[in-house]
Formats: sequence, structure tokens, C-alpha cells
Amino acid sequence: MTEETQDAPRQHYTDKEKDDVFNNEFLPHINSMYNFGYRLTLDRDDAKDLVQDTYLKAYRFIESFQKGTNAKAWLFRILKNSFINDYRKKSKEPNKVDYQEVEAFYNSDEVDRQITPDLRVESLKDMIGDEISNALNALDVDFRTVIILCDLEGFKYEEMAKILDIPIGTVRSRLHRARQLLKEKLSDYAKSMGYKNADV
Amino acid sequence: MSQLSNSNPFIGPSGKKPTCMEMLQFILDNDASEEQKAYFKQHMDSCMPCFKSYELDMSIRQLIKSKCCGGEAPEDLVDKIREQITQKLS
Repeated sequence: MTEETQDAPRQHYTDKEKDDVFNNEFLPHINSMYNFGYRLTLDRDDAKDLVQDTYLKAYRFIESFQKGTNAKAWLFRILKNSFINDYRKKSKEPNKVDYQEVEAFYNSDEVDRQITPDLRVESLKDMIGDEISNALNALDVDFRTVIILCDLEGFKYEEMAKILDIPIGTVRSRLHRARQLLKEKLSDYAKSMGYKNADV
Repeated sequence: MSQLSNSNPFIGPSGKKPTCMEMLQFILDNDASEEQKAYFKQHMDSCMPCFKSYELDMSIRQLIKSKCCGGEAPEDLVDKIREQITQKLS
């Protein structure tokens, strides 16, 4: 197949070694994988199917995985590709984002002068329900993805670039824009919760 | 700031001095070195906008971590995966 197999030379594993890799390096990431699947599809059943497909593919191509390397990034990459190939086509969600525009913006002098949403730390403290989750889910899937990978899973630029097949510069600009958009959503929530912080 | 900038570890090979926002983004994006983190921490002591932005962004991250983890995968998921592997690939 595919891009998943291009990097490393093929390994040769016995059946026992395969099971070891699968049990000790792949399965421990199941909760993160399920959450990533859910945040992409926004549907728990689809997330289950997606994770199942991903692990099946990972097992099938286990010999292109080098023991002891970054299994989590490898799995996330397969999941993301499966999502794009198998799920995104089916969904009606409009995903087109003009990244050139985003990057042009990021590289301009406007970045530091932009008006940041009037969101305060204090108002976040009252978001004890689903506000943050809803705000995140309301972002375009590409923006949602970088936030999950960076803020929740702690991946670095280089890992995110590999998982998403985009240049590091694009990771940066996408993250920057994603944070901005998330703050705008949270700011709307804060306002609807009765905060009047426009004067700060 | 001026006495710090001589040894600013954010300055790359181009010699361009980074803006506050640029430094903050490296920190937020998990891409700052220990040296850069220490520098930024010290910088925040004298730069209120940086302190406020940092505090806000870190609070959002905390909120994401506590509310968007999705919990555990369904219990039967691992069993189903094993079952499928046995059926299809063995």
C-alpha cells in the first residue's frame, strides 16, 4: 500500500513478536485513538469502526513498523488517513479551508496587532459543562485536529507534520489560527453566560 | 527586556528578533527548548500582555485536557479488534 509503509525498511517478525508489538506498543494507545476518532467523526459508532479499521491495518502492515519507534504517531497517521479515505468522503461536512489565506495572514504583520477575542481566564472557570468540547467540535475538522494533536496528545511540530502530511510551517499557521478560532467560540459562550468583559 | 535580549534563545540563524506572540507560540506548541522556556518565563515577569496570553492559553489547554479526553474506549473494542485479526489475518 501506501504512505504508511514508505519510511522504514521492512521488518521481519515472528508471530510472537507481532503479538508483542501489537499488545505492548499498539494497544496501550487505544483510548487516545478512540478519542481522536471521535473528535474527527463526532460520532461514537463511527469512531469505533475507524479505530477498529486502523488497528486492523496496523496489524496487516506491522512489518513496516520498526519496534520501539513512535507507535503512537504511526497509529495516529493511519487513523487520519483512514478517516480521509473512508469517512470524509461520505460526510457532507464542508472542509475546504483556504490555507494560503491563513498562511498569508500568519506571515503578515497583522498577526500581533489583531484583535484577540475578549476572553478572560475567570470566565473559563465557569465552563464546567460541555462548553469547551462543543466549542472544539464546532471548529472545522482540520483545525480541530491540530488542537487535539498538540494540546491533548502533546505531539511536536515534526510529529504533527508527519501525521498530517503537511509542512511544519503549515502546522504552525494552522495551530495559530485554530487557537484563535477556539477563543472566539469560547468568548461567545462566555458572553452568553453573562460575562461583560468587553472593557478589559 | 533589553538586558535579556542579548541571549535570547529564540533568535534563530537569521538573527531576527521574535515577537512576543511568536515566542508564546513556540511555548504553546510544545516546540520550545528548556532554555527557551526559562527565558520566556523570565520575560513574562516584565511583560503583562505575554503573561495574560500565556495564562489564558494554558487555562484553555487545561480545560481541553480535563473535558475533551473522551474517557475510555468502549470495553468490547479491543475484543472486537482481536476477533477481526484472527478472522481476517491469521
